[in-house]
Amino acid sequence: MKEKKNAPKRLLEIRGMGGALTAFAGLIIIYIVFGLINPKVLSLQNILNLLRSMSKYLLIGLGQSVVMITGNIDLSIGSVVGMSAMMSATLMTRGIPLIPALFLTLCLGLLIGLLNGILVGKFKLPPFIATLGTMFVARGIGYLVNGNRNTDNIAAVLGKGEGDRFQGFFYYGKTLGIYNTFWIALLLFLIFYFLLGKTRVGRHIYAIGSNADAARLSGVDIVATTIKAYLISAFCAVIVGYILCAQAGMGNMEAGNMYEMYGVAAGVIGGVSPLGGSGLLLGTFAGAALWQTLENGLNMVGAQVGIQRIVIGVIVVLAVLTDVLVRYGRRRPAGH
Amino acid sequence: MEKLVSMKGITKTFPGVLALDQVDFELEAGEVMALLGENGAGKSTLMKVLSGIHGRDAGELCILGKNYGDLSPKSAREAGVAIIHQEMNLCNQLTVAENIFLGRERRHGIFLDNAAMNREAEKYLEELGISVPADRIAGELQVSRQQMVEIAKALSVRARILIMDEPTSALSSREIEELFRIIRKLKEQGHGIVYISHRLDELSHIADRVSIMRDGRMVSSGSFSEYSMDHIISLMVGREIREQYPRIDRAKGRKIFEVKDLNAGRKVRNIGFSLYEGEIVGIAGLMGAGRTELTRAIFGADLRESGSFYLDEREIKIEKPGDAIRAGIVLAPEDRRKDGLCTRLSIRQNLALPNLDRICRGFGVIDSRKERALCREAIENLKVKAPGMETEAGLLSGGNQQKIVVGKWLLRNSRLVIFDEPTRGIDVGAKVEIYQLMNRLKKQGIGVLFVSSEMPELLGLADRILVICDGRITGELSAAEASQSEILKLATAFEKKI
Repeated sequence: MKEKKNAPKRLLEIRGMGGALTAFAGLIIIYIVFGLINPKVLSLQNILNLLRSMSKYLLIGLGQSVVMITGNIDLSIGSVVGMSAMMSATLMTRGIPLIPALFLTLCLGLLIGLLNGILVGKFKLPPFIATLGTMFVARGIGYLVNGNRNTDNIAAVLGKGEGDRFQGFFYYGKTLGIYNTFWIALLLFLIFYFLLGKTRVGRHIYAIGSNADAARLSGVDIVATTIKAYLISAFCAVIVGYILCAQAGMGNMEAGNMYEMYGVAAGVIGGVSPLGGSGLLLGTFAGAALWQTLENGLNMVGAQVGIQRIVIGVIVVLAVLTDVLVRYGRRRPAGH
Repeated sequence: MEKLVSMKGITKTFPGVLALDQVDFELEAGEVMALLGENGAGKSTLMKVLSGIHGRDAGELCILGKNYGDLSPKSAREAGVAIIHQEMNLCNQLTVAENIFLGRERRHGIFLDNAAMNREAEKYLEELGISVPADRIAGELQVSRQQMVEIAKALSVRARILIMDEPTSALSSREIEELFRIIRKLKEQGHGIVYISHRLDELSHIADRVSIMRDGRMVSSGSFSEYSMDHIISLMVGREIREQYPRIDRAKGRKIFEVKDLNAGRKVRNIGFSLYEGEIVGIAGLMGAGRTELTRAIFGADLRESGSFYLDEREIKIEKPGDAIRAGIVLAPEDRRKDGLCTRLSIRQNLALPNLDRICRGFGVIDSRKERALCREAIENLKVKAPGMETEAGLLSGGNQQKIVVGKWLLRNSRLVIFDEPTRGIDVGAKVEIYQLMNRLKKQGIGVLFVSSEMPELLGLADRILVICDGRITGELSAAEASQSEILKLATAFEKKI
């Protein structure tokens, strides 16, 4: 068996790399095309904004992708985003200091993730149903924490210093000239990328998504691995909740609406298989970036929101369709 | 006598296998034809040709006097062939009548005519002399009743030829008597019944004629009364041993493994045995005897009611596969694609999966260099033919897939390796390599438990053979005393029900 191979070929051998690279290529093409139509797309400020707006979708996409790689889905994360935004804002406006407020919010979010993991991993509920349930529950909690209304301005209660610190850290501030939101997303991306590719937990996540029976017979703990995946998706959702809270400077009960589906879209555009077992978070990165570039570009050339949605819908379907066709084409000659 | 089925010179090949070789088969109206043969003799294939599920390469097929060229499942059904499956094929949530009329519902215009369907269904059930309300949900019925519903369904499409595959395996003695009463009634009405069963002692109650298959050929056919049980068994076995088996000799050493009082469901009952250093213990038994269930129960893959395990004289607890693996017991399962491989992952990832504990540094971080070295070693040792270790496991040939399934376990120091049908569906060359692998383990003093449906390979490799029938160990044979007919006798030693 031959081991020596040139670098690009080695790169393409990594499963899921094809989808990720295709999305990156699409991203570059889209960016250039829009740049030619409207040079403002290429401006530094626009790039910075773009990096910041894609970060939310990247984070939610990371969480959803990890769950999709286990062969499941997490419909609750959009609601966990909303719940976290409301919870953290409520605590802050009730006089709880910043760090404890964020910590309590994180605990609540992870509790939802734990519950999802137990329902799906231990009790074998269909993930679509289990997380549909927790989706409503989390949204309901988000409504309840502040008595069924949005919160007041955080800065007004926390004081200008503390409030600015929070909002700056998660949304408005910059480090090395780039918005912090992007740095946060990038850091978590790198952590989870490493986790999936280089650790035991990550390998188990791929294994149960590819074939849970075989994984179990290889000694993989299905329940524990499923729970870990759902904890990761809940964690990502909580971070997005902080970001939305910082952006608005208050808690909005509808924050994070539909984000669970944005997560699916980001992953799928980047080649993460909704059937489980394959896909790279690098693809999710590309997917989130492609999508935001497209939305941004369409915005700048004055396309209506309806058009933007249609284009995204078409791209999601095309991404999965090409994946299916490529697999079908590859499998047939080798099938016998 | 009216001839219902006449098959002449039926030949059928699957890639690499001659499944049916010039088979003649006849069925007359008003008779029960027992179709016998061991695992893989070709009974099921022959019946699948008759019911149009498989095409045939050569031979004439004539049903009720009409010759059929290409027979589709639909035209077989219309010609009057019906299979009563071993596992019930009913839609459990639908009613009895809905099941019987599935796909040909009676209608008033666009509306279903439930009243008419219920009426008709009850008529058929009454003909069988059983009372089942037609509007009962099928899944709520006892297994024996569900079987009757299947028979009623066959009658409702005017089937004349009923194929019954192990119809009594899930029935109690009273239910068997009722089934036999119905079979006799069907005979009187001029139906012909092909009765496939391994329970030879039951045949005397019901069979008129017998056809015995072996290695894809029809070896004998005639009136049932002319055959003794011993004669039938001697005809069923005697498969030619074509291959040479690379048996090695090694002195028997210390006891490695012992299982006591193992019970897990209906298919694993009161199992107890020991295994010693330097021996390959074979597990023989017919399809559905509970061999796979036994391996899974030992490995902790399924729940069990009781059982204790001893490894190197120390009791070990096995609650889940992870416990068994840690203790040093590993299983290469029967169904590669379902239980053995993550088909969408690479060869490397599959080989590493149960060995991550060996290649991880702190915090569960995988040492990629170690991982690749380990995989390279396995691939070379096992002579896996693949473009590289990143190749998707699902794209490999059966033999190479099997090498991955087995190979991942050889990368750790196991004490007992369980092989469940390791040579199924792989080519001869790969088979020999698997045999040599088992021998290597035996030489190293590692216990080998070898489950197989192929008697020749069991006889060729195992030092001791345990025979299982219906979840129980019915006998133990040493390599010296074992023979195919001995094994088959024990494998058909069912508890008497009638």
